[in-house]
Amino acid sequence: MAMKENVKKSFNAKAFFTTDVITLLAVVVLYIVIAVLVYTGSASRQISNMLISISCYIVLAVSLNLVVGLLGELSLGHAGFMSVGLFTGCTIAVLLTDKLPMAVSLPLCMIIGGLAAALVGLIVGLPALRLKGDYLAIVTLACGEIIKNIITNLDIDGTPLNGALGLDSSSIRHSATDLLPFAVVLVLLTMIVMMNFKKSKHGRAIMAVRDNRIAAEATGINVTYYKLLVFVVAAFFAGAAGVLYGHTLPNIKPATFDYNMSIEILVIVVLGGMGNIGGSIIAAIILRALPEALRDFSDYRMLVYSILLIGIMLLNENKAFKAWKSQFSLVGWVKKLLKKKQTAETDAPAEDIPAVDASADGKEETK
Amino acid sequence: MKKIVSLLLSAAMLLGCMVLLGSCGAKEEWPVDENGLTELFIGGIGPLTGDYANYGVSVRNGAQIAVDEINAANPEGILGFKLVYEAQDSKGDPDSATSAYGKLMDEGMKVSLGATLSGETAAVTAAAKEDGLLVLTPSGSAVSAIADSDKAFRICFSDPAQGKASADYIAEYGLATKVAVFYGSDNDYCVGLYNTFKDECAVKGIEIVMVQAFTTSTNTDFSTQIDAIAASGAELVFLPIYAAEASSFLTQSKGKLDGMKLFGCDGLDGLLTKIDDPATANGVLMLTPFAADASDAKTQNFVKLYKEKYNTTPDQFAADGYDAIYTIVEAMKQAGLNSKDVEDFNARIIAAMTKITVNGVTGSMTWTPDGEPTKVPMAMEYKDGAAVLFDPTK
Amino acid sequence: MIQFVQALISGLTLGSIYALIALGYTMVYGIAKMLNFAHGDIIMIGAYSVIVTAATVGMPPVFAVLISILVCAVLGVTIEFLAYRPLRQSPPLTVLITAIGVSYLLQNVALLIFGSEQMSTPMMFDIPDLTIGGITVDGITLLTLGVTAVIMIALTLFINKTKVGKAMRAVSEDKEAAELMGISVNKTITITFAIGSALAAVASIFFGATYVYIKPTTGSMPGIKAFTAAVFGGIGSIPGAMLGGILLGVIEKLSMTYISTLWSDAIVFGVLVLVLVVKPSGLLGKAQREKV
Repeated sequence: MAMKENVKKSFNAKAFFTTDVITLLAVVVLYIVIAVLVYTGSASRQISNMLISISCYIVLAVSLNLVVGLLGELSLGHAGFMSVGLFTGCTIAVLLTDKLPMAVSLPLCMIIGGLAAALVGLIVGLPALRLKGDYLAIVTLACGEIIKNIITNLDIDGTPLNGALGLDSSSIRHSATDLLPFAVVLVLLTMIVMMNFKKSKHGRAIMAVRDNRIAAEATGINVTYYKLLVFVVAAFFAGAAGVLYGHTLPNIKPATFDYNMSIEILVIVVLGGMGNIGGSIIAAIILRALPEALRDFSDYRMLVYSILLIGIMLLNENKAFKAWKSQFSLVGWVKKLLKKKQTAETDAPAEDIPAVDASADGKEETK
Repeated sequence: MKKIVSLLLSAAMLLGCMVLLGSCGAKEEWPVDENGLTELFIGGIGPLTGDYANYGVSVRNGAQIAVDEINAANPEGILGFKLVYEAQDSKGDPDSATSAYGKLMDEGMKVSLGATLSGETAAVTAAAKEDGLLVLTPSGSAVSAIADSDKAFRICFSDPAQGKASADYIAEYGLATKVAVFYGSDNDYCVGLYNTFKDECAVKGIEIVMVQAFTTSTNTDFSTQIDAIAASGAELVFLPIYAAEASSFLTQSKGKLDGMKLFGCDGLDGLLTKIDDPATANGVLMLTPFAADASDAKTQNFVKLYKEKYNTTPDQFAADGYDAIYTIVEAMKQAGLNSKDVEDFNARIIAAMTKITVNGVTGSMTWTPDGEPTKVPMAMEYKDGAAVLFDPTK
Repeated sequence: MIQFVQALISGLTLGSIYALIALGYTMVYGIAKMLNFAHGDIIMIGAYSVIVTAATVGMPPVFAVLISILVCAVLGVTIEFLAYRPLRQSPPLTVLITAIGVSYLLQNVALLIFGSEQMSTPMMFDIPDLTIGGITVDGITLLTLGVTAVIMIALTLFINKTKVGKAMRAVSEDKEAAELMGISVNKTITITFAIGSALAAVASIFFGATYVYIKPTTGSMPGIKAFTAAVFGGIGSIPGAMLGGILLGVIEKLSMTYISTLWSDAIVFGVLVLVLVVKPSGLLGKAQREKV
C-alpha cells in the first residue's frame, strides 16, 4: 500500500489519462488486436482487405475535422487534396520501385505526397480568406473538381500517369499485411499531431477565429495565417493518406476522387462529432464497415445503408439517446474508474472530475 | 451498475467480433450439398447498385442463366460438381470490390469471375494473384484489368484491340477517310479505345478531323459537340462510348448529322433497349462479338432463356457472363478435373485456359497466355429496331 | 458568328434547366436555411412519375404533369416531416448529412422500383422550333426559359407580397421571434418544402422533355450543378438563382465551343471560383455585414 502511494506521487494517473490519451490507447489496443488476428491468419479476408482503406478514411476524417470542427468551415474538396497527394506520391513511388525498399520509399513518398497536397491546400486556402459558409463550400467543391479534371488529362509518357486510364500502380501495390504497420503509424501520428495541435496555442487561436473572427482579430490573432495553416495541415495529412491508399490498388483512376468522396468523408466527420477525434475514428470504422456488414441484404444493401444513415443522424440528436449513449463512453468509464481508485486511496478531493465527466463523450459541437 | 453494463457491453462486443472474425475457419474445403454433389463456388463482383448497376446486373443475370442451365442439364453434376454462383455488389468501386473479393474467399470461392468494370477487375486480379485463383472477367476490358497477373483471363475484347480493329475495319472497307470522334474523356473504356484508334488511323491514313469529348459532369447535353462535328466535314463519326450516352447523342443529333456514318464498338450494345425510338438508331454501325438477334441456335436459346427469366433482351455484358461460366466448365474438362480429383485445382484449370476453344454466344474463342481472347468481331448495323449483319460491300 | 449563337443557344437550353432547379434549391435555402441535397433526387422521382403516368398508364400530358407536381410536393413535405423536422434545433451540418442520406435513399428506392436501365420520357408537348436566319432554337428551350422567368417573378411576388410570403421571410429572419409573433414555423416550412418540391417537379418535366433519358442517378449531377448555380447567383436570392443557372450553362457551352471539351469542367469551376473571390456573396447575394 505504501509502495503504491509512492508510485502515485510520481505518476498522477488522473492527469495522465486525459481524453486524448485514452482515445490513443484505445486505438493502439484495437490495432494490436487486429494485428494479432491478421498475422495469425484468423481474421476473415473480408475484414483484412478493408483495414488499410478504413485507416486511410480515419486519417482523412481526422484531418478534415481540423477544417470543419476546429475552423468551423465546410470543405467539400478533401478528396481533391487526397488525389493530389496520391498521384504525386505514388508516381514517385513507382519511379523509385527498384531503387529503394518499400520501408523507405513509402514514408518518403507519403511526405512528398503530403507536401504536394499541402501546397495545393495553400492555394485552395486563399479564397477561404474572403469566403465563408456555403460560398466557401462551393469553392472547395469547385477546386476538387478542377483537380480531378487536371489529373484526368495528365497523360505523360515515361511516367505511370495515363490520364483517364489511371495511374499504373501495380508495381507498388502491397497486401494489407504489408501495409498495416505503415497504416498504424500514419493513423497514430495523425491523431497525436491533431490532438496536440488542438491543444496548442495554434489550436486555441483557430477556435477563437471560429467562434468570433472579429474578436480574435482584435486580440492580435493573425486570422490569415491561421486559416491558411488549417488548410495546409489538413491537406498534408489527406495527401499522405492518399499515398497509402494508392499502395492498396494496382490501378487508380482520377475520376474516383470526386465530390461524392469528399461528401463521404464529411459524413464521417459530422457523424463523429465536430472537433472530436475519437468520434471521427469510430464513425469512420462504422460507416466504412457498414456497407460490408450489410452484404447479406444483397440488392437492398444500399437502401438499408441510407435508412441507417438517416436513423443514426436522427438518433444522435435525440437527447434521451445521447444520455443513454454516454454511459457507454470508454473515456468516461476509465475516468470514473480512476476517480474511484483515487478517492479510495487518497484523501485528496477530486474537485475537477465531475466537470470532465459531464463532457466525457467528447462532444464539442460548434453552435 | 453503469460499470457492469458497460463491462457487459464490451464483453458482448468482443464476443461478437470473435464470432465475426472466427467464422471463416469453419468453411469446408469442398462443401457437399444435400444430394451429395460437390459444390463448385464461382464468385462474381460488379456494380449492382449505383450509376453502373445495369452492367453488373447484366453480367450477373447472364452468368446465372448459364449456371442454372448447366445444373439442370446435369442432375448428376457436371464433372460431379454442382455449380454455385454468387454475385457481390461493388458499387463500381475498386475498394469495395476488394472487400467483396475477401467476402467471397471467406465463403470458399474456387473460381473468380473477376469484376464487371475494369478498375475493380484490376483490384480483384491483384488480390487473387496471391491466392493463385483463376480470374476470368467477363467484361473488364482495359489492358490494366488483367495485365498484372498470369492467372487472369477475359471474355471480352481488350479496349486497344477494339480501337485498332475499328480503324482497320474502316480502312479495309473504305468506309471513310475523314472521321470525327466523340468520346468520354474521363472514362477508361472510351479513352482506351480512342487512344489506339487514333494511332491506327495514323497508320492507315485515315484523317481525324474533329475530336469532341464529354465528362461525367457534362453528360446530359451534347449539343455543342454535335454542332462541332456537324460542321467538321467528317464522313464518319467514331463513337467509342456506352449505349446510355450514345442514346442521348443520337436523340440530340437527330437530323443534324445527315450523311455521316456512325460507328461504335461493343459499348453500344443494348442501344435498342435504351433509346426512346429505335428508328433513331437506324444506320448506326457497331463492331461487336455478340448480337442478340443472330440466327445461330446457341444465341437464340440464350436470348430466349434470358427473356423468359428477366423480361428483357440480353446485352453483351450478359453474354460475356454466360460465356464465362461455359469457359470455366470447358477448362475443367480440359484439365481433367472432377469432383473426385481436385488436387492442384487452381494450377490445372489455369494451365488449361490457353489450350481450350470455346464456342460461345460471343463467338469462338481461344486464349493467349497473357489472358486475351482471340475472336472475330462482327460488324452489325441497326435497322428498324434490330441489329443485322452489316455488309460493307454494298 | 453562327457558331457563337449556336453555343449561346445551347448554353441557354442547359442554363435554363439549371436555373429552374436552382430556384427550388435557393427557395428552400432562403427560408428553411438548409441545403436540401435531396432536391436533385426529387427531380428524378418527378421525372419517373411522368414516365409512369404518361407512358405506362397513358394519361394525357396535363394530368401527368399535375400528378408529378403532386407527387413531388407530397414527397418533399413527407421528407421534411420525417427527416428534417426532428433536427430543427441541430447544427446545419447535421441536417446537411441527413439530406445526403435522404438523397441516397431516394436513389436506391428508384433503383429497386425502376431498375438501373435508363427509361425514356414520352414526348408530351410538341412545340414548333423557331428558325431565324439559319439558326434554329428548340421550342422546348424557349418554353423552359419562359416558364423559368414566370416562376422567378411569381416566386418573388409571392414572397414579397402575400401574407404567407411575409411569414416565410419572418421565419427566415428569426425562427423564435416569428413563433412569438404568432407564426407557425412548422407550417411555414412545410409550405416552403411543398413549393420547393413542386418546383422540382416542374424542373423534372422540362428536364425530361429536353434530355429524354432518366435513370435513378439522373438527379445528382444536375442537383450539384444547380447548387453551384444557386451559390453563384447568391444563395437565397431568387433572381440570383436564375442568373446563376443561365450563366453557368452559357459559360459551360462557350468554353466547350471555344476552348476545349476536355477542359470545360476546370474552366467552369475556375470561373466560378474567380467570381466568388471577387464577389464573396455571389452575384446578387446580399453582403452579410458582420456583427461586432
